[in-house]
This record gives sequence, C-alpha cells and structure tokens, in this order.
Amino acid sequence: MATTTKTTPPALPVPFTTSTTPLTLITQGAEAHLYRTTFLTPTTPAALKIRPPKPWRHPVLDRRLTRQRVLAEARVLAKCAREGVAVPGVLGLSWEEGWVAMEWVEGRSVKEAVRGRDVGDEEGLRGLMRRVGGAVGRLHAVGVVHGDLTTSNMMLRPVGDGGEKGEAGGLEGEIVLIDFGLAGQTVQEEDRAVDLYVLERAFGSTHPREEGMFGEVLEGYMEAFKGSKGTLRRLEDVRMRGRKKSMIG
Amino acid sequence: MASVETVTLPHLPDSPIQLSLFKNVQNSAFLRQQLLEGNSDFEYAFLDASILISRNQILAACFRAITDSLNNRLKSRNVHSEIVFDLSPNNNIAESFRRFGIQDTSSNVVAVKVLRNPNQSVAEHLRQNVQGEPVPLTDEALAEVKDDARLRKIYRLDQPKKGETAALGKEAETFIIGSMALKGS
Amino acid sequence: MPIAIGLEGSANKLGVGVILHPTSTPPSPHDSAHSDEDSPQSRKKAYSPPAQILSNLRHTFVSPPGTGFLPKDTAAHHRRWVVRLVKQAMKQAKVKLEDVDCICYTKGPGMGAPLNAVAVAARTLSQLWNKPLVGVNHCVGHIEMGRAITGAENPVVLYVSGGNTQVIAYSAQRYRIFGEALDIAVGNCLDRFARVLNISNDPAPGYNIEQMAKKGKHLIELPYTVKGMDVSFSGILASVEELARKLEKSKSSDAPWLDAESGEPITREDLCFTLQENVFAMLVEITERAMAHVGANQVLIVGGVGCNERLQDMMGLMASERGGSVYATDERFCIDNGIMIAQAGLLAWRMGFKTTLEESTTTQRFRTDEPLINWRD
Repeated sequence: MATTTKTTPPALPVPFTTSTTPLTLITQGAEAHLYRTTFLTPTTPAALKIRPPKPWRHPVLDRRLTRQRVLAEARVLAKCAREGVAVPGVLGLSWEEGWVAMEWVEGRSVKEAVRGRDVGDEEGLRGLMRRVGGAVGRLHAVGVVHGDLTTSNMMLRPVGDGGEKGEAGGLEGEIVLIDFGLAGQTVQEEDRAVDLYVLERAFGSTHPREEGMFGEVLEGYMEAFKGSKGTLRRLEDVRMRGRKKSMIG
Repeated sequence: MASVETVTLPHLPDSPIQLSLFKNVQNSAFLRQQLLEGNSDFEYAFLDASILISRNQILAACFRAITDSLNNRLKSRNVHSEIVFDLSPNNNIAESFRRFGIQDTSSNVVAVKVLRNPNQSVAEHLRQNVQGEPVPLTDEALAEVKDDARLRKIYRLDQPKKGETAALGKEAETFIIGSMALKGS
Repeated sequence: MPIAIGLEGSANKLGVGVILHPTSTPPSPHDSAHSDEDSPQSRKKAYSPPAQILSNLRHTFVSPPGTGFLPKDTAAHHRRWVVRLVKQAMKQAKVKLEDVDCICYTKGPGMGAPLNAVAVAARTLSQLWNKPLVGVNHCVGHIEMGRAITGAENPVVLYVSGGNTQVIAYSAQRYRIFGEALDIAVGNCLDRFARVLNISNDPAPGYNIEQMAKKGKHLIELPYTVKGMDVSFSGILASVEELARKLEKSKSSDAPWLDAESGEPITREDLCFTLQENVFAMLVEITERAMAHVGANQVLIVGGVGCNERLQDMMGLMASERGGSVYATDERFCIDNGIMIAQAGLLAWRMGFKTTLEESTTTQRFRTDEPLINWRD
C-alpha cells in the first residue's frame, strides 16, 4: 500500500489554541512540528517549534524529556548568540507546553543553493564550502556540537541591504545554522569528529557531484577553529570505524 | 494622546496591552507607593526605562507573563508584577522589582497595562496620575535613556572590547531576550 | 513445492521447524491439465500465497533464578534435544524426506558454542539426507518470518531480543541498520535486572517482568539515553540495579522507601514498571525517528522482547499517530524458533543460494546488513 495517510497534527498548546495569527506548518518531524508564524510583533517572522506530548510515554517521563529537550536546544542557541555564532535567536519558549519560538532565518538552504547554482561558478561554490566549514568551526570553537549537520540545516542568509538579494543562483550570503534539536555542549574531540562525519556523509549523499568539494569545508573549518587539528585526526578514526556507513540510507 | 499605544501581541488576541513611555517623571515615588500599597486603581507594570534595550524586550516579558497567567502559574502577585519579574534573567522576585520596576528616583518610566477588554483604556488615568512627558515608545526613544553599563551588568553581557562601540546592538537584544526566556529553567 | 527444515540454536532456545512455500508459478507446458490462457506472460508477478508452517517445535534451556544461561550448558542442552526435535518436527510435518529441499541453520549471530552444536546437527542431516545446506542470518530470519506472518510489506523493523537491539529498514536488497544499541541489548538489560531481583527465568525473565510491571504504578527516574537513532542500556541497568539494592535494604530497615508524591511504599513491581516504561519509550522514539527518516508508517516488531504487550501498545499508539500501524507476532514466532530460519533459508534457496560444507561455519558476529536480500525488489 502506497497510501501515506497524513494525520492532522496534534492540538496546539496554550496560547496557540486561541491564536488568530497564521501558523503555517513547515515540517512534521518525529520530535517536533515546525510552523512559520509571527512573534512579539505582527511583522516579526518567527519559527515556532512545538514538541507535542507523546501519548505512549508515561506522562512524568514525557514532561521530563520535553522539558530537557526544549531547554537544551534553547540553551545552545543562547550560548551561540552570546558567543557570536550565527544562529536564530530565541524569542520565547515554554518547557511545560513544549515550544520554542525563534527568529525566522531569511534566505534559502545551502542544499537549495548548491543544487540551484550556476554550474560554471566553481569559485563561488568553493567560497560557499569554506564558509560552511567556517560556520561549523565557529560552532565547535564555542563548545557546541550540532548533532544533525546537513546542508538542509544551514541557511544562506542574504547580507547587506538586500541589493543582490533577488539574484537567483547566487552563492553569497552568511551561513546560519538551524535546527539544534539534537545539539549538545561538549568538550570531546570524538563528538566534534562525529559531527563532521555526519556532515560528510550527508553531503556525499545529498550532493554526489560536489562530493569532491568537501575538502574545502574542512579548509574553512581549520581556519575558523584553532583546535581543529585534533578533531580532524579523530575524524580519520571515525571514518575508519565506518560504523555508521551502512546506516545512512 | 498618541503616546498611549494599544498593542495586540501575535497569538494573544484576547489580551491587548497598552504601552506608554514617560520622560522626566516627577512623581515616581508616589507611583511606586501605589504599587506597594496594592492600590487597585494602579494595576500597572511600571518599568524603569534605563534597563530596557528595546520594545521587543518589553513585549517578550509581556508574552511570557500573559501566557503564564493563562496557564495559572504566575510566580508573583499578578500579571503586572509578573511582567516586571519576567524581565529578569534570574528567579529572585524582590531583586527583579528593584532592578526593573519603578524606583523613587526613576525619571523615565514605561507603563504597561494588560487590558481586560479591547474597549478599556488607561490613557486618561495615566495622564492624570503620571507627572511626566509622554513620548512615543520607540526603540530610538529607549536608546536615548538606556543605561548600557547596567544592562551589561544585569544580563552579564561582556564588557566592550577596546575599539568596539560601547553601545549595545541587535546581538545584545537577542541575547537578553534569550536569557529572559530561559529564566527559571 | 519448496520445503525446508530450519534449525535454530543461537541462544537458549532450540527450535526446529518445517515450512512449505506453495508455488503459484505458472505450471510447465507439459502440464496437460492446464489451459493455454494462463500463459507465463499473463501474470507478470507471481502471486505468492502464504507460507505454510508444517511444524514448529521449540525446547528452551531454563537456568535457575538469579543465573543466566552459560554457553557450555546451553550447547549441551541443544545437543541433548536436537535429534528428538528433528524427528518430531518431521513426523508432525508429514513430509517425505525426498520432498525436503534444503537444511537451513543459523550461521549467526549468537553464542558460539550453541551455534556450533546446532550447525553440527545441520551438517549431519545434510550428509545423511544428501540435501544442500543454507546458512541463515538469525536477524534476517526474524524479519522474514515477521513479514510472512503479519503481511507487513515494507515496514521499519524493530528487532529486540536478548542479544540484539536494532532499528532496520529495507533498501536496495539489504536490511540496513538505522539505529542500534551501542552497548548491551535491551533483552539483556531486562534479563540481568531480573537476576538482581531473583525473578524466575521460567518461562522467560522478560515475561515475568512484564507481568510484575502490570502491577507497578510509581515511576522512578532513570537515565534516558538516546543519541540520534542509537540507544544505550548499560547505564540504565547499573541505575536500576542500584534501585533494586536500595529497595532490598529499605525492606530490612525501619525506614521504608516511600514514593515522594503518594507516600506509598515502592515495590519490586514499581521497579519493573519503571524499567519497562523507560526503555520501551527509548525504543519507540528511535523507531519513530527511523520511520520519519524513510517515510514509512508501518512498523514490525520482532525478537523475544517483541512479545511484550506494553511495547506493542506503545508502538501502536505511535504508529497510529503517524497514520500507520504496528505489526507484531505472538510468542511462537517472535521468540527464537526454527521456522524463521527455514523461512529465510528457503527464500534464499529459491534464489539459488547454497552453503557448501566447507562454508558451513558459524559466526558470533554477523551483521544484519551483510546478507544480500535478492528475493525482494
């Protein structure tokens, strides 16, 4: 049976139950539903991530996990904001109702940018890859691992006063990492190496034709992160282990 | 007067708020006394404008206070005291009132009122009772009266490095609102 | 019509089963009883009627409470019972020796000595009856039997037993592992906890924990260790063992251990309940993540822990929220058995697969993603 029955998303928590502000469902993952909406003012676009209760979990456990995860994500975002790593800022949250409202990041994902680029623009791609590595390096430099690095979880935010914003196919822009649902704070080389390895695998399967460019990502990473040497050495081990090799579908 | 502005926060259509900024307030001690006495004619959040970086900071505190009120989990007496408390990055209620609430010496004050219905207005009451100069509550107006050094201290922002401008910008606002959201966790 | 006998003994269950695959491939032209209209071209894809289980016997080595089953004793048990079980299974199946097409046995993964004991029996039968051997991956056996019994076409599979914890999905002729336990298997965690509480191993420690958990109601905090699609249980085992000791101690003292909220005493049943709620929530979570990843809404639970009704219920709630459903089997099939080895072995044999005598070894490690699953599209 090929019928994919999409069930309606579960009821929203207070205060979104009585909201007259539009909430547009963007993605429905295993953990959370992501809506585009506005927050604080009617002209401030926001991403609202709601973690609905899981009725199969014991309610005490469910509340504990929801609380932990909402807070872990918001703490990582707050830490990044404080340290100057480009991530969406937290606008509000409730660990009891399980939601976080974040700044909406304009632009398109790196995945879309790479796929839709002008194929002749090798330099542009090279630069983009370096900036991707730089963004990951800055993240690691402040003691955070993302946990789910893919080119879908990186936005290319237009910079400046929007002059070249409309330019389709452009690879300019600031890399903003998003979706920190699996992120954590860590000082372990292993965690950073696995973070890079996940990106490498995801990059290879998402952009097979550009796979050779991954070296540029690592170049950018080294420039942005002083401790990169140890991490890259560890990355070799992680690759060798290849434990996850068969698991990326 | 246009200086009392009615705002409806996204997602909170049934809790409109009125906001106003008064400069050079002469009777802060009187206003504070009304709060201390629990005078029911003065159900306001009176904020000391020197620790307000932007309108969004105020709106974030209002959003949290109103939703916590809807969920019956206010930490302080009422939604107005909760707005003052929710500006704080920590859980000390008394300290939050001292830092963010009106003081006897406050000269620039933001008044916030959560309205019971959209037809209610406190403009006249404020005009009669606040001895100060009403001005539109804009980020620019707040920027003129904010005390960056105190903001840095209270929200534990890094001191400006040499060569950096001392003024707090958008990144600081993001961090402050994030700290407020995480408070109590 | 293809018939296989399957021998399983990778852990403490010895299983022997006989399976038949009714063929519906168009009869040969020589078959005069058949009309020409039913030409091979008229049916592109052969309809495959359900497999027929002709016999499915099992004998379990049960160790005393407080102990686990040791490889040496388990292998001895299998050796003692395998001839009797094979004879009985053949008798019950009512098939003639010449109708049997292949002897399927578990190549791995599992415990070395018991695996070997059964492999020796399989080789002997192969020589004695002059039938080809088919070495089978135990995990693939579980998956194929689960699919055959439930009719789940392309489910995400949660394989949970004493030796394995894996979330699996089919892709490009392999059963790919999306997530797994990074240390001990969930069944091992439950079994070892049962030993600490001196819970009986008869019929199975997990079954007895499940019954006790039904009477538990207080949830105590335990670690919850999910990393992406992987899980880890050793920290949880250490914590719940600590709780068990605390409970024993409090019983012999004047200060009973009371639930903070209700003031009621904490019981052994509460510990069983707590452990189940915690580890099953973890399993459902990684399964849901895999389902979201591959875009599936069917989930199949196989392996001994898969009999647990609480796990099935939790999984069912999750699947229904995703617009799908859960498929599970009863203890005849989810607990290790011979028929599942016969099923997977026969599927491979029909594709031309055989294991020569020289190759008919066993291996304690045998990943689910190694065998080529060429009988699926």
